[in-house]
Amino acid sequence: MLGLDQFIAELNKSISMFLPETALVIAFLVALLLDLMFKKSKNLTGYTALIGFLVTGYFLFKQMNMQSTAFSNMFVIDQFGIFMKWVILLSSIGVVLISFFTNELYEKAKGVGEYFTLIIGMAFGMFLLVGSSNLIIIYLAIETMSLSSYVLAGYTKEVKRASEASLKYVIFGAVSSGIMIYGISILFGLTGSLNLFEINRFLAANPVNNFALFLSVIMILSGFGYKISAVPFHFWTPDVYEGAPVPITAYLSVASKAAGFAILLRFFKVTFLDSVPGNDSVWTLLGSIDWHFVIAILAVLSMTLGNLVALWQTNVKRILAYSSIAHAGYMLMAVSTMDDAGVASVLIYFFMYMVMNLGAFYVVALIANNIGSEEIDDYNGLGYRAPILGICMTLFLISLTGLPPTAGFIGKLYVFSAVVKAGYIWLAVVGVINSVISLFYYVKIFRNMYLNDVDSNKSKLTYSPASIVLLFVFAIPTLYLGIFFNDIVKWASYSANIFMGK
Amino acid sequence: MLETLRTIDMYDMIKFIPLIPLIGFLILGLTGKYIKKEAVIGTIGSLAVFIPFVLSIILFIDIVKQHITSPVIVPVYTWINTGQLSISISYQVDQLSILFSLIITGVGFLIHIYSIGYMHGDRSFSRFFAYLNLFIFMMLNLVLSSNFLLTFLGWEGVGLCSYLLIGFWYDQKFEGTRITWTGDAANKAFIVNRIGDFGFIIAMFLIFLTFNSLDYQTVKEAAAGGAFAYYNTGILTAITLLMFLGCTGKSAQIPLAVWLPDAMAGPTPVSALIHAATMVTAGIFLIARNSVLFALAPDTMMVVAIVGLATAFFAATIGLVQNDIKKVLAYSTVSQLGFMFIALGVGAFTAGVFHVMTHAFFKGLLFLGAGSVIHGMHHQQNIKMMGGLKKYMPVTYITFFVATLAISGIPFFSGFFSKDEILWSAFSKGHWIMWLIGATAAFFTAFYMFRLLKLTFHGEERFDPHHVHPHESPKTMTIPLIILAVLSALGGFLGIPYALGSWFSAHPNLLENFLDPVFEDAQKIISTATMKVSSGNEIHFQEYLLMLISTGIALSGIYLANKFYSDALWSVPRALAKNFRGTYNLLFKKYKLDEFYFATVVDPCIETSRSFLWKIFDVKYIDGLVNGLGRTSMGIGETVRKLQTGIVQNYAVIMTGGIILILFWIFISL
Repeated sequence: MLGLDQFIAELNKSISMFLPETALVIAFLVALLLDLMFKKSKNLTGYTALIGFLVTGYFLFKQMNMQSTAFSNMFVIDQFGIFMKWVILLSSIGVVLISFFTNELYEKAKGVGEYFTLIIGMAFGMFLLVGSSNLIIIYLAIETMSLSSYVLAGYTKEVKRASEASLKYVIFGAVSSGIMIYGISILFGLTGSLNLFEINRFLAANPVNNFALFLSVIMILSGFGYKISAVPFHFWTPDVYEGAPVPITAYLSVASKAAGFAILLRFFKVTFLDSVPGNDSVWTLLGSIDWHFVIAILAVLSMTLGNLVALWQTNVKRILAYSSIAHAGYMLMAVSTMDDAGVASVLIYFFMYMVMNLGAFYVVALIANNIGSEEIDDYNGLGYRAPILGICMTLFLISLTGLPPTAGFIGKLYVFSAVVKAGYIWLAVVGVINSVISLFYYVKIFRNMYLNDVDSNKSKLTYSPASIVLLFVFAIPTLYLGIFFNDIVKWASYSANIFMGK
Repeated sequence: MLETLRTIDMYDMIKFIPLIPLIGFLILGLTGKYIKKEAVIGTIGSLAVFIPFVLSIILFIDIVKQHITSPVIVPVYTWINTGQLSISISYQVDQLSILFSLIITGVGFLIHIYSIGYMHGDRSFSRFFAYLNLFIFMMLNLVLSSNFLLTFLGWEGVGLCSYLLIGFWYDQKFEGTRITWTGDAANKAFIVNRIGDFGFIIAMFLIFLTFNSLDYQTVKEAAAGGAFAYYNTGILTAITLLMFLGCTGKSAQIPLAVWLPDAMAGPTPVSALIHAATMVTAGIFLIARNSVLFALAPDTMMVVAIVGLATAFFAATIGLVQNDIKKVLAYSTVSQLGFMFIALGVGAFTAGVFHVMTHAFFKGLLFLGAGSVIHGMHHQQNIKMMGGLKKYMPVTYITFFVATLAISGIPFFSGFFSKDEILWSAFSKGHWIMWLIGATAAFFTAFYMFRLLKLTFHGEERFDPHHVHPHESPKTMTIPLIILAVLSALGGFLGIPYALGSWFSAHPNLLENFLDPVFEDAQKIISTATMKVSSGNEIHFQEYLLMLISTGIALSGIYLANKFYSDALWSVPRALAKNFRGTYNLLFKKYKLDEFYFATVVDPCIETSRSFLWKIFDVKYIDGLVNGLGRTSMGIGETVRKLQTGIVQNYAVIMTGGIILILFWIFISL
């Protein structure tokens, strides 16, 4: 047993490791109080959230090269987690900024005070999830972020479909969590531990019943799969994406997915890595179950279903929802390789996906501000009524398709090259065919913007200069990272090494 | 310590040499439309080349002082760095790159100044200078780069600028084989060059495959090391041959020489800058830069020498009968480039580079002189319609005369030294037959150049004095002519052969001393391989003899031209043309090489593309496949989307069902 002094020393150390998360909690509390005290002020909690995120960023920056565990191995700090936390943090900042320019939020909800507060809460849940190495913490973190996101999805109370989306999200989330915690209990029963490092050691030393192990992992996967919206855990995605306010849809499609992928990768590596062969960059997995194949199947299903159904959609938000399912499929392809090159490519992909996807949703929000619709037919002729929005949207969509010279191309390039390098040529072929299919519905959007209703004499769209500046914040990196990607690639490769405990 | 610091800063300066023309291009390209004053545009454009010229001189002086023996690499930016592949923008300071930089910026600057006068009043004045600056930027990247990729970028860039400038007057007619307007000529130049570029690209792939690097220095060391491990290997022969294919495209050698004469569709300063002085020497640069690789592939060297020889000879014969002032100069350029390749092919790298330099002076001058004539003659280019211009344009005449003496190889003019060095190398390192063919080509050169001079400036005035009033060009045009004339006359003294200069110095050939570190390794390989002890500086009796003979050849060419075209009826040439009608037509039609290419390559390509690739393969198979896939995708999508009912209970059931299915399947397979 630990002595008291040791316990306190350990606790002190742990708290110092936990500073970014602590900053988020404090920001959450401050925002809550400020909202109570100054009911009238419009964006006060929003600014508080921004400041909180900046402070978090400062602490995160100080952790850059740290690799350690905290709170008795319940929580891990490593480069992999820090990369994902940066993605979450940057997209949180992006979403708060997008929210400032989304009229829907200010018109159809009663005050935005809690809105920003809940975003901080959700960010905290995601930070926790990315770093957790204990099944209970994983569960708690998923619940923390989910609870916030349920409320956020239905935040515009006056919109009927938002409330519907929120309710569906809750029900679906409850089912997934239920299945997941059932899986956790089976895994606990099999191995006698909730700590991933200990489960790993147990599995390495003792043979367990394969079917029981498989059952538990598949059930746990349903929890992760629902966060990343992989088929067949994706059903909530289109309905919720369509109903939720645009910034929240963007947030769910980027940050929430990043957290889900982070824990998926960490769970698989930490639980199943056979550390005996020594070479960690190509994982040797414990047991006889072919996890590569299971994940590969999920990847194929997600890509194909996402893309094929997207072909038929008429609502831009719904198209982007299905597209986000397909993107989860591309990234799952890289996960299925189960090696460090695959992890690095997921990280690269996420960084690229963050800028282009937030950008695309932001354009949707700006257009909705003006025309009050997200239907694809209402986008006719918008390329002429709003030239800057049209050009930027085209850029984002080209990037989402994965064509050079944009960020999306680089993301796909690294994912495909990781898949090919690992020897799954068939999977890469499926991925490429899917990319081709996806081109159709992305092009459909900017075809409508530029080729339909060309001579429209409808009024030009209005938008503030500040909102255009924010648009460039997304558009410039989408182009820049497509050409100068070396630093991101280097950072991702450096971060690909998931910490295996001591 | 201070000294080293200074040198490092010094070489860092090389970054600015390409950067400044780029800035010039951006300024002129983006805002040129709004600058109304031609003088302002011209000044910006010329300064953007003059400053790099000054920087090149500073670097040049420093290199001479410091005697650097290995290149200094100045990294600018690393674009991609993953695993073995490293792609970076980095420049290389050494004797070869700085010499080329001096030629490009020096001659380039003069031609910029000249263009201010020549392009006066053109509606696209600023566009012209923007393109010229872009060209200088690309050309500098080509020669200053420290790796193949950046050179290739410049290589493609100069190709683009060449295309843009050939078609600069894009709405004008231009005559040629199946060419009706300038755009056709531009297309032809670009497309023919693609064939060469293809060779260059494959060569780069092979180099990366073999040496795992694209850096000149790394590749050179890897190839030269290992005690002749690569000597005469198939891979190195393939690499160098493919690279040479690229050179034949850019430098207009057989079999890709056909584009250069048609490139004369562009404004004359462009012909002088791009299609005579700088871009077309890129092929010579590439071989000189990779002298070690070529030295290790003797078979390729042989091919280079033979191709150079054939081009020098055949192009010179075509030049004998052409009547367009720029066409004569164009074939002359092709022929002179052939001479440079002869030098490279026999391993006389310095001689090749030397001729690049002198050729830049005198051929640049000839083209600018021709431009001055065309300018004064209101865009008349047919020399049969000129004559007697020397009294109207004295400065143009004198400078043109100097250049003609230089290219003909009259002793102590620049062309004499460089051409003679090439011929002597062909004799001593190659074969006497090479010397003979080369000397014959030199004879033709002297003949057609003096024919040109006679028909243009001497004799009776054959133009219509009522409509054409020849006049001397403005100062901005004549001053560059004068400077280039001085260089054409005296530039040769940089490369005095030992045989002539031994009385005052043990190493009279300044250029050879200067370039020695660059070609040292290649020379070592060649002399080891051929078991010849480096000849050092011995005086050969034959050298004097050959020098005398070639001078005699030049003089007899001049004499003949003078005699043939002195009588007003041109009776001798007319009789010759009549009696040898077949030969004359063959020469006049440029050996029908264009027709041959159209019949064997172009037309079959077009026909196959139209009747099979388009109408059958594309329409039936490709479209059928794509449409079929599209329809299938839509069909499946339509079915699958019905799962999304909107009822949350269904979702939960399908999800749970999915999990059970996966489990079931695993249960069976376990």
